[in-house]
Amino acid sequence: MSTKNTHIPDWLTVPFAGITPAPSQEKGQDLFPTGNWRSIRPVYRDKLPPCNNACGTNEKIQGYLDLVKRGKYLDAYALIKEDMPFPSVTGRVCYHPCEQACNRGKYDEAISIRAVERFLGDLGQALTNDVVKPGKSNGKKVAVVGSGPAGHSAAYQLARMGYAVTILEKSPKAGGLNRGGIPDWVLPQNILDREIERLEQLGITIKTNCEVGKDVTWDDLKKNYDACVLAVGLTEPNSVRAEGEDKAGVHYGLPFLRDIGMGSSQVKLGARVAVIGGGNTAIDCAREALRQGAAEVTMITVEGNSKEMPASPEDLHDMLEEGVELLHGRAVTAVLGNGKVEALQLHKARFSGAINASPITVDREAPAERFAVDNVIIAIGQRAALNWLPAEFKNERGTIKMDKFGRLGDTNFFAAGDIAQVGSGQPLMVVNAVGDGKRVAFNLDKAVRGEKLQPRTIAVDVIFDLNRMNMTYFPHFPRVQQDMLPSASRKKTQQEVIQAFTEEQAVEEANRCFSCGTCNACDNCYLVCPEPCIARPERSNGMYKILVDYCKGCRVCIEECPTGCLEGVPELDFDTGVVRMDTAFAISPGLHGRQAQELKNLGERPAKNI
Amino acid sequence: MPMLAEQKKRTVRINGCVASAQAAKYADVDVIAAYPIRPYTATMMALAQMVANGELDAEYIVADSEHSQLSIAHGAASSGARVFTGSSGVGVQFAYELYSPISGSRMPVQMMIADRTLDPPGDFGSEHTDALSTRDMGWIMGWSCDAQEAFDNHLIAYRIGEDPRVLLPQMVCQDGFFVSHITGDVELPDSGQVKEYLPPYKHPYPLDPRHPVSHGPQIMPEQGPPLQLERARAMEGSMAVIEQAHEEFAKIFGRKYDPWVEEFMTDDAEVVFFLQGAHAVTARFAIQHMRERGLKVGMVRLRTIRPYPTDRVLEVLSKFKVVGVIETNMGLGSVSSGGVLYAEAAAALYESQKRPLMMSFMAGMGGEAIVLKEFYWMTEKMLDAQRRGKIEKRTHWVGFEE
Repeated sequence: MSTKNTHIPDWLTVPFAGITPAPSQEKGQDLFPTGNWRSIRPVYRDKLPPCNNACGTNEKIQGYLDLVKRGKYLDAYALIKEDMPFPSVTGRVCYHPCEQACNRGKYDEAISIRAVERFLGDLGQALTNDVVKPGKSNGKKVAVVGSGPAGHSAAYQLARMGYAVTILEKSPKAGGLNRGGIPDWVLPQNILDREIERLEQLGITIKTNCEVGKDVTWDDLKKNYDACVLAVGLTEPNSVRAEGEDKAGVHYGLPFLRDIGMGSSQVKLGARVAVIGGGNTAIDCAREALRQGAAEVTMITVEGNSKEMPASPEDLHDMLEEGVELLHGRAVTAVLGNGKVEALQLHKARFSGAINASPITVDREAPAERFAVDNVIIAIGQRAALNWLPAEFKNERGTIKMDKFGRLGDTNFFAAGDIAQVGSGQPLMVVNAVGDGKRVAFNLDKAVRGEKLQPRTIAVDVIFDLNRMNMTYFPHFPRVQQDMLPSASRKKTQQEVIQAFTEEQAVEEANRCFSCGTCNACDNCYLVCPEPCIARPERSNGMYKILVDYCKGCRVCIEECPTGCLEGVPELDFDTGVVRMDTAFAISPGLHGRQAQELKNLGERPAKNI
Repeated sequence: MPMLAEQKKRTVRINGCVASAQAAKYADVDVIAAYPIRPYTATMMALAQMVANGELDAEYIVADSEHSQLSIAHGAASSGARVFTGSSGVGVQFAYELYSPISGSRMPVQMMIADRTLDPPGDFGSEHTDALSTRDMGWIMGWSCDAQEAFDNHLIAYRIGEDPRVLLPQMVCQDGFFVSHITGDVELPDSGQVKEYLPPYKHPYPLDPRHPVSHGPQIMPEQGPPLQLERARAMEGSMAVIEQAHEEFAKIFGRKYDPWVEEFMTDDAEVVFFLQGAHAVTARFAIQHMRERGLKVGMVRLRTIRPYPTDRVLEVLSKFKVVGVIETNMGLGSVSSGGVLYAEAAAALYESQKRPLMMSFMAGMGGEAIVLKEFYWMTEKMLDAQRRGKIEKRTHWVGFEE
């Protein structure tokens, strides 16, 4: 008998006739794997959604939209708070680069991300206790000079890491640009007050009326603290350098807004007001001028048309709706009047090179124009006041000398926000200052612990091409619009112009998110797999698992992944979880056994500094 | 499962096809998968009548081809049913894909074969090539030589195939026309005897939604060999079960068959015919006539070809001086340039200390009868070889040579 004395080793024992328990959703087909049919392996690889990528502080936008969609508002709020201390503020004031980057904008209309952020921020405001708690004390003291967006953000992150943080603010009220640079009808003061309160709840000491260089010296900072964040902002307004600029009735953008914000404004505007400048601050000034009693407001810009203005199109639209006039291609060459401004002398002008990034060429040959005004508000940017800074930390342009980590030499002093970012090419926005404050906080922490500073990087692959997703899953659906006060009535009040989303609106808008390149637990892969090769203990991102012993690589899940998170990776790129036809060449029994599912051998991907 | 109505033992005159149908009825089969092809059609007709008349409670499914017919049989057996099916000639071949899966999944499907010559051209006569072409697919296989033996073999085959130590499908073969359409006396047993002999069929892992299992899943390459070894073990292990089943059959029904070979007048025989199937009936007459003339001739009839009784064939055939294999099958280009029976018998004898001279006779091809004078002619050829001590040629085409 040929089968006499035959022996089947334990590791090859097979059930009767290969009859096996039916595959289950939990374990899949446990025996008799078909993984060796596969040439392509599906791999869940979350990309960075373009919104997260565009955000100055890399808020996990797709993440919180997904949570809002599922009604998990508190989780969404907690997620946003990882990167953003005051979503209630940015939910109102942010120029939302995320929405400009939103892939939905190429499809129908971008997601109204800012409105959802505001919905979450307001939810956070209503909480008796915030979800964020101070970190375990590490016994180190940090001073943060300035309580604007960058200082606020740095202080917040440092407190979460366990530092004893003291904020030094020269004004009577904390908030910096958030308080002094943003009108009440955009950001009501009580919202900001609540966020400042949250800082204090984190154990942060806020000393107001405390100006560095006057009330506190550089040496004091050095002596009394283990480290210091300089986030003093740009406080000195730029001049148009025109003859007669010192006449009464000439105001500057940020001080104009700041005094109103602090409640210390003495300004009384006449009927006709000109605003010089084409940026967002100029727009805020023009709209504030209406609310301060001006009847006719004209915005005078060097830019040749409104498209060239470095301003948010939405704010520009709202301003025009409120009746502000635009006068383009002009530069102020003199302020005319007898002691007090009566008119402006204008000349045709243009940028000599790139818009907003080159010197202005004024056409003095052309006849001068006279533009009658009662007041002028000059809003053409600001610069730093750094007279308190030791000379060794100033560079030839008069700004702070620091390395790419914001560090001043080898000290534990770091600079953050507009003073650090000015001239970097980045637009000076609240959210960028927040991001800078966050990064500086992490860098400071490392420096204090004596570690070498390195850029914080993560692998970055951003989906910009809609073809990388399966668009058949996304019906066209219009953006949910935020309600606004009517333009006629709003321009005379300090009431908030843009209204909040209701819960239903927030959910509806969050529902429009494509979740570009990022698994949002839609369950599609789990459902479309023709075999039970995708297992998940629960419906949640990160919980899906490809059973590589059995997956035949049919690609159905990859094709049907709406978000483009699932990728097909050639099997040859793997050296684990491989089921190969190597029976004849096996050097030991069970060589083709099951191994851990890990991605190895895959090439490095470009990293991005976050 | 409804039980077969009480039957009393009686003798009826029926042909082989009807005997097979009767056997299926006595086995109380659950599912009949049918597709017509002569000569098997007569079995299918008889079963259809039984089901229509209420004599047999079974699912009678007429397929759209033999391939579907065997697929139905496979599926039905997987669900735990006792299945009966059958075919002839090219019909057997059209279902070829299913033979290995059925035995590989260890489903004891039973298939009745009424042999028919393979095309070309259309020929209804019996030739064993149809079933023999599937002989290595893992089915238990053997030939009957008359209607009674056909009836008995069906019951015995179910008993063997469904034994939990075996679980293999069976082909119960009979010659077309010579058995299938020749009537003879057949003793139909008392239903109590069948009940005693053939317990209800129970597959260990049937398809059942309450206890889901996977049949026929894809395997890893390394898992193929152990499964094949298991199937080989089952086939070899069936030999003991086959012997036991025949002993038990003799005890209950009173008819004793040697499970492997029937020896006829071999006690002092020097030359023997080695064959299977219906031509044994003619051979017996021819041998008796030749014995009267003093010729020491006998016959060895192979009853079971799968599993092949190698040791038994070696032992039996070693007793003789000359063995003449009557093929009744085509093995074009085979080792003897004749049929396939020679090759296996010769291989079985290879280890013998006393190897007989062997020759192959291509006789009964296309379903032609092998007449007495052809048996005499073949005997002459064997005696001639015995006298010379060597064979003239390995294969003779009977009727075409001097």
